Amino acid sequence: MHIPDGYVDLPLALLFAALSVAVLSVAARRVDGELSDSRAPLLGVVAAGIFAAQMLNWPIPGGTSAHFVGGAFAAILLGPHVGALCVATVVTIQALVFGDGGLVVLGTNVFNMAIVEVYVGYAVYRVVAPYGEFRAAFAAGWLGITAGALTAGLQLGLSSAFEYQLVTTLAIMGVGHLVLGLVEGAITAVVYRYLARARPDLRPTAPAEASAR
Amino acid sequence: MTEWLPRALGVLLLLTLLAPVFGWAAGQVGYAEPLENAAEATGATDDAEAVGTAPFSDYGVPGLGSAAGTFVSAVVGTALTLLVAVGIGRLLGSDTDGPH
Repeated sequence: MHIPDGYVDLPLALLFAALSVAVLSVAARRVDGELSDSRAPLLGVVAAGIFAAQMLNWPIPGGTSAHFVGGAFAAILLGPHVGALCVATVVTIQALVFGDGGLVVLGTNVFNMAIVEVYVGYAVYRVVAPYGEFRAAFAAGWLGITAGALTAGLQLGLSSAFEYQLVTTLAIMGVGHLVLGLVEGAITAVVYRYLARARPDLRPTAPAEASAR
Repeated sequence: MTEWLPRALGVLLLLTLLAPVFGWAAGQVGYAEPLENAAEATGATDDAEAVGTAPFSDYGVPGLGSAAGTFVSAVVGTALTLLVAVGIGRLLGSDTDGPH
């Protein structure tokens, strides 16, 4: 889902860069001073884990592939604001160091993966959580990545390189990730359930316990 | 406080070791992502521009083979992400755990 340079028109890229800066600034202000020192390594490990996991392309029958994006996972484990900063760090390093995603569209990619997927995923998690944390984490991963893909489809479909074929880009990106998102949802749910059982103190609802250890 | 850290670093190492395996497997099946499918369907493929300044472009290392380059990229990227994210965490951190 990493959009390269040349795919999104410059005005759109600038608009989404500005939106990304605005949202991440608010996130940083909301987090500032509230992230205990004991959770800083957790932020680092989750970000590094997402980077490494994104390098694992899972071949899907039919010639498609999916890789874990991790926006919803980061949101659930770290909270949405730290999660957004976490995924934004990953997406930025991928573009600057590895050329995965363009530089002009860096803000666009950050918006899709670090903002839309994170906050939509977290909202879905909160809505479904009363019916079970496992299914909530699954739905968050599944619908979070689908929302990010639909946003990318919108940006592409409004750009000249894609000949403004909005219906085509929305259909391919949305339907494609609605199916591939099942993998995202499954990984999110399984890994989160394992961590929640093995280390409940790492959850964002338990900062006091984590700090006390 | 962070007794989970060694195990977590072990998991990260395992993921970096798996990266070349998945890279090889993905190459064998000739996969494509929906983004590439959308570009192909609308004729946008030729408009893509590579980032020429990336030192590890396409997760490869000049002079190294595909598997070795992918592994080195995975290690470098994972370590760099870890350092940067921990730094951001420290910047945004409180002194809940004591003075710093």
